[in-house]
Amino acid sequence: MAPGGYFGQALVVDAGTGTASTLPLPDELLRAYLGGAGLGAWLMHRLAPPGAGPLTAQAPLAFVFSPLVGTPLTTSAKFAVVAKSPLTGLLNDALSSSHFAISGKLTGYDAIVVRGACQRPSALLVDGDGVRLIEASDLWGLPAAEAEKRLRSRLGRGWRAAVIGPAGERCVRYATISHAGRHAGRGGLGAVLGAKRLKAVAVRAATKVAPADPEAVLAAARDLRARSFGPATAKYRELGTLANLLAFNAISALPSRNFQAATFAGAPRLAAEELAQLRTVARNSCASCTIGCEHIYSARGGKQMRVEYENVFALGPMCGVSDPDAVLAASARCDELGLDTISAGGTIAWAMECAERGLIDAPWLRFGDAGALLRALSEIGTGEGVGELLAEGSRRAAELVGGGSAEFAPHVKGLELPGYEPRTMHAMALGLAVNSRGADHNRSGAYEADLSGDHDRLAGGAAHAAAAIETEDRAAIMDSLILCKFLRGVFREPFGEWAALLSAVTGWDVDGAELRRTARRIVLAKRVFNIREGWRPSDDWLPQRLLAEPVTTGSGRVATLTPERLRGMIGAYYTGRGLDAQGRPGEADLADLRLR
Amino acid sequence: MGTPKAALEWHGSTLLRRTAAILARVTEGPVVVVRAPGQDLPALPPGTEVVDDPREGLGPVQGLAAGLAALGGRAEIAFVSSTDMPFLHPAFVRRVLRAAQEGADVALPVARGYPQPLAAAYRTVLAAVAERLVAEQRLRPAFLFEQCAVTRLDESALRADPVLAALDPALDSVVNVNSLADYQAARERPAPEVTVQRFGTLADGHRGPHQVRAATVAAAADATGLALDGHVVAALNGDQITRDGETPLAAGDTVFFLAADAGG
Repeated sequence: MAPGGYFGQALVVDAGTGTASTLPLPDELLRAYLGGAGLGAWLMHRLAPPGAGPLTAQAPLAFVFSPLVGTPLTTSAKFAVVAKSPLTGLLNDALSSSHFAISGKLTGYDAIVVRGACQRPSALLVDGDGVRLIEASDLWGLPAAEAEKRLRSRLGRGWRAAVIGPAGERCVRYATISHAGRHAGRGGLGAVLGAKRLKAVAVRAATKVAPADPEAVLAAARDLRARSFGPATAKYRELGTLANLLAFNAISALPSRNFQAATFAGAPRLAAEELAQLRTVARNSCASCTIGCEHIYSARGGKQMRVEYENVFALGPMCGVSDPDAVLAASARCDELGLDTISAGGTIAWAMECAERGLIDAPWLRFGDAGALLRALSEIGTGEGVGELLAEGSRRAAELVGGGSAEFAPHVKGLELPGYEPRTMHAMALGLAVNSRGADHNRSGAYEADLSGDHDRLAGGAAHAAAAIETEDRAAIMDSLILCKFLRGVFREPFGEWAALLSAVTGWDVDGAELRRTARRIVLAKRVFNIREGWRPSDDWLPQRLLAEPVTTGSGRVATLTPERLRGMIGAYYTGRGLDAQGRPGEADLADLRLR
Repeated sequence: MGTPKAALEWHGSTLLRRTAAILARVTEGPVVVVRAPGQDLPALPPGTEVVDDPREGLGPVQGLAAGLAALGGRAEIAFVSSTDMPFLHPAFVRRVLRAAQEGADVALPVARGYPQPLAAAYRTVLAAVAERLVAEQRLRPAFLFEQCAVTRLDESALRADPVLAALDPALDSVVNVNSLADYQAARERPAPEVTVQRFGTLADGHRGPHQVRAATVAAAADATGLALDGHVVAALNGDQITRDGETPLAAGDTVFFLAADAGG
């Protein structure tokens, strides 16, 4: 019998034949990897053929649920999509949330894995009647939201769907998978689904799963709910993540014009403080969430847009665009196409710099030109003009263009950088460099250390490495339980409190120390997968621009991140993680991963 | 005065803590406090080093020798300050350090009528010279100055720095407190004028900038209706982030208050 909160099995579907099998997930394995991103990493070790290209039929893609899904614990309605990334060629997990998580888990599986590829555009259905593929040619070419709406209308009550947009169909390497307007955004997993000619995966609840101690779970849920209304989440409730923009600009941490500066003169026009007064029309939240971080803004033409810091950063300052209507329109275009806004903005910003340097023949593509931004997005969606090149992401595009453009291609391991300036946030610089997913602010929250006041954010060293490890470990657990990271500030003793939640749900006698070991295992499992797939030590690094071009802070202090400093922090990180000088784990750690 | 100068209260902090924090801000390097053997010190900013003066009562050259020696190999130049200058301004420290960096062994301000050997910059290699002078019982700073290249900075030279001229026009940086009356007079002066901005949810419709008088970050927060709790951090002049309410402020400083959670 599976522990509370689990079914103890994964469903493995062959999209080529429409058949499915069940993969048992023993208690000990679930305890070792929990769910979400952790269990997804193990599933990829187990099911992904070594060296298989992410866009090939044999590449698996997993929707992974978690023990907390379906409980009344706030923010727990989340799921992970896990596969090898077409952008990085390495392991990628992208999280999304809401009803798909609950319905997907209550199909009776802790994960749904898809392998193979359909002959024609299809949708995969999973419910109590089993697995089936249905024709979806009529949905092909539609924006994700419209396709989701039509599919649910066709299927009837109770169905929830994760859907790709036109970018996923075209295998743009940073295409998203969407559900209810939220996106499993990073790493291009929409392209993996598109390569399987799957427009959608739809799920319908068929069963129930009980926690081991329902009363304890309910009590914890009440407590967390109360805490979620406190000051730790005020930023998310009141302004949303866009509150970062003006603050980051003030502390020279807002990358702009493809990381040529760390401030942006147009930032006030895009700030949450301004937009909230003029344009907020609603707040929204995911299923089972009491925070309600989503802020819906009105855009020109009557459209309504969810706005986050990262999409405004990437499509605004990163591209030099300060017109809020243009940035909102660009965000809406990314949603329609199913594009990761960070990678889209980063790749376009790189292309803008290439155009200014005469490296690509697109004289119209200029920093600050809102029309050019929108045109570039449309061309990415259609594959016309520069679109075919930019659909590859900045790393591959730079390899094709040459001319030194790789030095200012804003990525790590192929994944475009988020809006945290590494030169003025050295702990974050390390987190971005070493993370398995690539340049990522959700798997490494090392910016917390930079903004804690405990460390000099311009003088990274061993303390920054320790802080980066700690935040990476916390993210590994939160992404595997799964709980939303916007809740993290309410936990006073995170590992102990998370262990108590997990114990109440599963019945396991878990403590904080065990969860710390679990976090380390999950982080290493991802790294080991990447090593298997061709990761090299030189991949744990930052773009040359960030190591060669200083920026100046508001106080006049010159912020430099030298290769020597970064190398020193990486060395301290490897040591702290128990890795060798080449970033590889030893035999004892490998044995602990339970991969053999 | 009844209380050791180092421990004198200063706007909710102490004179010593203020001095150490101002120097840490300017130099980015190690800050060393030289104390008499066994002397109790008030709380210091994180990272501040303390060394014991091996011989008590031998005056400033002995203190110089101990402090410069403690910095040897880690810094070429040190700004040396007594603990009793409550208006020491970062711009003053920068101006003096710059003079030393231009080649002098010692950059010695001459301000408000006197040379200021305890508000001056020294090359750390002078530790050996100072040690020898102590051994020879030549305990006045003037003996040290005889043995090295000294750049004297009179008031016009100091004020030639436009930032210093704007922010500390009276050169109050070198005002020290030698008596209870001095201390009380200093304490009665208004706190420095600083600029405050609040971001995100902290702005509450009033982002600023606001001009307030505040000697510490906590006072700046208080002046704008904020509590510097675990959910709020301050960025001083857009640079260092702190949660330490005792972080001293000087005229012309800007304090940004931000939400501590930067998740995006």
